[in-house]
Amino acid sequence: MGKATIIPFGPQHPVLPEPLHLDLVVEDEKVVEAIPQIGFVHRGLEKLVETRDYNQFIYVAERICGICAFGHSYGYAETVERLMGVEVPERAQYLRVIWHELSRVHSHILWLGLAADAFGYESLFMHCWRLRERVLDIFEKTTGGRVIFSVVKVGGVVRDIDAAQLAEIIRVLEGIKQDYKQIMDAFLKDSSVMNRTVGVGYLSFEDATNLSMVGPFARASNVPYDVRSLGIGAYGSLSDFEPIVDAQGDCYARMKVRALEVLQSIDIIEEMIARIPSGDIAVAVKGSPADGAEAACVVEQPRGECYYYARGNGSKNLERMRMRTPTSQNLAGMVKALEGCDLADVNMVILTIDPCISCTER
Amino acid sequence: MGFATEFTTITLQELPELSNQRKADGWRFVQLLAVNTDAGIDLIYSFMKDGLLVNSEIKGVTKDQTVPSITNNFLAAFVFENEVHDLFGVNIEGIAIDFGGNFYALAQKEPMTIISPEQKAAREKARKIAEAKAAKEKASQEAAPSEQPAPKPEVEQVNLEAKLAGMDPEKAAKVRAAMEAKAKKEAAAKKSEAKTDGEGA
Repeated sequence: MGKATIIPFGPQHPVLPEPLHLDLVVEDEKVVEAIPQIGFVHRGLEKLVETRDYNQFIYVAERICGICAFGHSYGYAETVERLMGVEVPERAQYLRVIWHELSRVHSHILWLGLAADAFGYESLFMHCWRLRERVLDIFEKTTGGRVIFSVVKVGGVVRDIDAAQLAEIIRVLEGIKQDYKQIMDAFLKDSSVMNRTVGVGYLSFEDATNLSMVGPFARASNVPYDVRSLGIGAYGSLSDFEPIVDAQGDCYARMKVRALEVLQSIDIIEEMIARIPSGDIAVAVKGSPADGAEAACVVEQPRGECYYYARGNGSKNLERMRMRTPTSQNLAGMVKALEGCDLADVNMVILTIDPCISCTER
Repeated sequence: MGFATEFTTITLQELPELSNQRKADGWRFVQLLAVNTDAGIDLIYSFMKDGLLVNSEIKGVTKDQTVPSITNNFLAAFVFENEVHDLFGVNIEGIAIDFGGNFYALAQKEPMTIISPEQKAAREKARKIAEAKAAKEKASQEAAPSEQPAPKPEVEQVNLEAKLAGMDPEKAAKVRAAMEAKAKKEAAAKKSEAKTDGEGA
């Protein structure tokens, strides 16, 4: 065994779109230990809840992340509704799930593109991002936005999707599905992709469980936990939902889980559209959360479980709002997965947890 | 599988036992958060099992108290324990990966413990409204048996104070100054009126 050397990785690195720093302790090109450091872009958004009333804060919540924007507004609204005992109309719940699953589709395809770029398969990266544009087009037509949608409010949603648009979503998704399956084959069957991912960054089921990992990162280590299976909101009306898991626990498994979840999300959207009830899309919410009232909720974001907490103080402003994002939960697992990998594979391992530092440093 | 949430209160001394118990029973650590209150920092530890999300709350942790780390059982908690230390100034002992106060690069020390004027005003407003409500109820209870009218000016004064507490502090100060000037003017007018009456007599 050679001499231990500490190699700084990030916060500025080609594979990292956001600042994350790691001190990599390496011996003979093998990582022995990885010490993470975040905190370069902490924005203090949770503190803003003191100066925005609970209706205004939804616009802050969705700006936590440019990819999970819808999920954050959805999770925030769901938590405040629990805090105030608001019953959301059924149609609004279905619409929320449709948009939330569309977010997952575009997030996973975006990630697959980034993964392809990381292992030097740039044409595959371009195909992925071109496909993602078609999902963003759906968002633009149904919400008016491509990144920030501002379509959720406490008590429901602000826009409906009419029957013609719902039919168009189905048509577009069918087209995406056909093209996506070809791209997915490249990810899952191409030998050059498998050479870079199979057996790399292994995380065992025991480690994933002990470290409380969430999302595709955990499911790729055979942990069958997906918040959607808890049946919150319109997810409870799904005829059948089984989390996609894989027992391999390596980078390939994490890629495979995400790749298959794209198809699963498309199926969920199609089922929601087929069964969406008619009716109101929002209820009027009056009053303020009671002093000392508390509520908590979880939502399955593209990167995994996100926890939301709210406490009222009797005024329109909340006393405290908290979002625990999936990346902050998965940092411990990432450190574990990095142990023993080659230095050249560090970027691949980091990428396969799909880190979102802007979420983590809300 | 369904989803349910529970909130329970524990003491600081019960935390290590709770952590050991949760670990032994196969619960998943979800998160740790802190809330700044007048009595100190509330710490909320969340665990989940079979769709039940239990939030165990330690009320009013003060600066001189030390909280034991739970990273011996749940390593994932190191992020949140460092966060709670840096943002709220809670002393946590024995964190597996301890950044010693350098987890976040902050411009201000313990920023989440600073009570903003808006938050102070909101708290004050909620308190005054509660007081006014209580005063109103008390007055109506007292008035009911003797059928006497409630002490309206006092209640109005409390309501006014509650309104001022909810306003922008600068604006509220201006309104108060204007009211004081008006009161002084009225008092002076009354005084001169009384003087004139005396001279006439």
